[in-house]
Amino acid sequence: MSDRELLELIERYHQHQVTSAERRALEERMAADPVFAQRVREVELFTAALQNHGRQKSLRDRLNQHHQAWQQENQKVTTPPVLKRRTPVQIFMRRYAATMGVAATVAIVTVFSSLLGMEMWRSATKQQTARYVELRREVDDLKRKQNALLNTNPAVTPKASTLNPGQFSGTGFVLTSDGYFVTSYHVIEGADSLMIENKNGTKLKVEEIYSDQVRDLALLRVTDTSFTGFGKLPYSFKQKESELGERVFTLGFPREDVVFGEGTLSSKSGVYGDTASYQISIPLNPGNSGGPLLDDRGNMIGVISGKMLGVDGAAFAVKSAYLLTLLDQLPEHRLPKPISLPKVNNLAGNPRPQQLKKLQDFVYMVKVYN
Amino acid sequence: MISKALVTDAAIIEGILQDDDAALSRLYKLHFSMVLFFVQSNSGTEDDAKDIFQEAVIVFYEKIKAGQLELNCQIKTYLYSICRRLWLKRLSRSSRFSHGMIEDTESELAPHVDADAEQAEQNELKFEAMGNALGQLGEPCKTLLEDFYIRSMGMAEITEKFGYTNVDSAKNQKYKCLMRLKKLFFLDYQVPS
Repeated sequence: MSDRELLELIERYHQHQVTSAERRALEERMAADPVFAQRVREVELFTAALQNHGRQKSLRDRLNQHHQAWQQENQKVTTPPVLKRRTPVQIFMRRYAATMGVAATVAIVTVFSSLLGMEMWRSATKQQTARYVELRREVDDLKRKQNALLNTNPAVTPKASTLNPGQFSGTGFVLTSDGYFVTSYHVIEGADSLMIENKNGTKLKVEEIYSDQVRDLALLRVTDTSFTGFGKLPYSFKQKESELGERVFTLGFPREDVVFGEGTLSSKSGVYGDTASYQISIPLNPGNSGGPLLDDRGNMIGVISGKMLGVDGAAFAVKSAYLLTLLDQLPEHRLPKPISLPKVNNLAGNPRPQQLKKLQDFVYMVKVYN
Repeated sequence: MISKALVTDAAIIEGILQDDDAALSRLYKLHFSMVLFFVQSNSGTEDDAKDIFQEAVIVFYEKIKAGQLELNCQIKTYLYSICRRLWLKRLSRSSRFSHGMIEDTESELAPHVDADAEQAEQNELKFEAMGNALGQLGEPCKTLLEDFYIRSMGMAEITEKFGYTNVDSAKNQKYKCLMRLKKLFFLDYQVPS
């Protein structure tokens, strides 16, 4: 039996068109030979698939017709919602829009917060470039001790070298020969006790009598028991305002020794338009605060108060007129003794070194302990 | 409302059993827009919707014909779940996020949906493979086989139509064609294990 005939037999078998003898023979063979049985089944499956294909094809054709009918019907009513195929870019955007949004937000927040943080940090550390500073000197303890060690020979009693050098220092000057003394308020601010010391090493204990925080002035008085008087003052106090361009000078203690500074009166108003102060062009350093400002003729015209950091040659001094009004306004009962200001000026006409020689006995370093 | 829908469903099934073309037309009109909407709102086109819907209808149709349909919900629901399942499968295959996407909660609604969707897919594959195989087979083999197996023409008729000298040579030709078709078909289609 050829393959073809066998196939036809199997086909007939599946269509139930075999004689009972053929059927029996086939079934016996299938039972005996599993490979053959498999083949019979395959033929059946394949034939079914083929027939199925035909059926489905006609079904599909019908469905397509229905689809077309449906399309025609619906196209009239509604133009089908045109959902365009998206371009790759659109697909990408749709898929990652949220992620990109989040990332962008994070980036923006990070950038701005770090910029802001840096700005804040900078302004916190650097402060303003131009600002007003008071010139009271913060004494560097360590440096002082080293200096003391170098300068003192072993013979000196250790007590002297362990003396508290004080925490701040400034300058002050004598107001009256009987013990009144002037400095800046910010020098003695928060002081427990005060000492003044001049170039010769004379130390005197002083106490605060009155201070004016607004004008930055302080009135002190010597309380030392051994004190007998400063002697005759060489300078007088000027009531009127000085003129622009006048040559002015000061003595002060920005360090241990007295330091002379000279310049001109560069403005009749102080920092931020403060009319109670002069602007002067004298190089000043911390420790100069409270020093006297004198003009060429030896008139006391102001009290050194501070300078502008970051601005060249801008220092400030409180006008003497304000010192005098302060003294006038002082209630009598606050003063142990009435104040009698010096009237005579011994400095006028003297050359500068002579003036300074006379002056320096009346300028003291103010030491503040707290 | 529900009873009305049920009546409609019964009428459609009856119509399909009686080979009534109007039933299919009705099926199309009633349910296709729903599937179309679903597919279009899930990044598909009208053609996609048509393919999916037809696959589902074919399974539905053949199950009715074979009397195997266990319908415990409305036809609408049944078709919708099959289409949904088919479309999600197709999407997940073309997408990068392919895992676990179609863990569906709706499978409780129609427990046979999974199997039916699977069948629809196999059906589609088989149909395509057979179509391809027939296409490659060329004439006159294609027509010969179609005449014999699909249009159920007798061998005598075929001998006459194709002008063979006798029935035997027609049979011979048919056998050769069938063997070639078989080879082509199984090149394309793997029987699911």
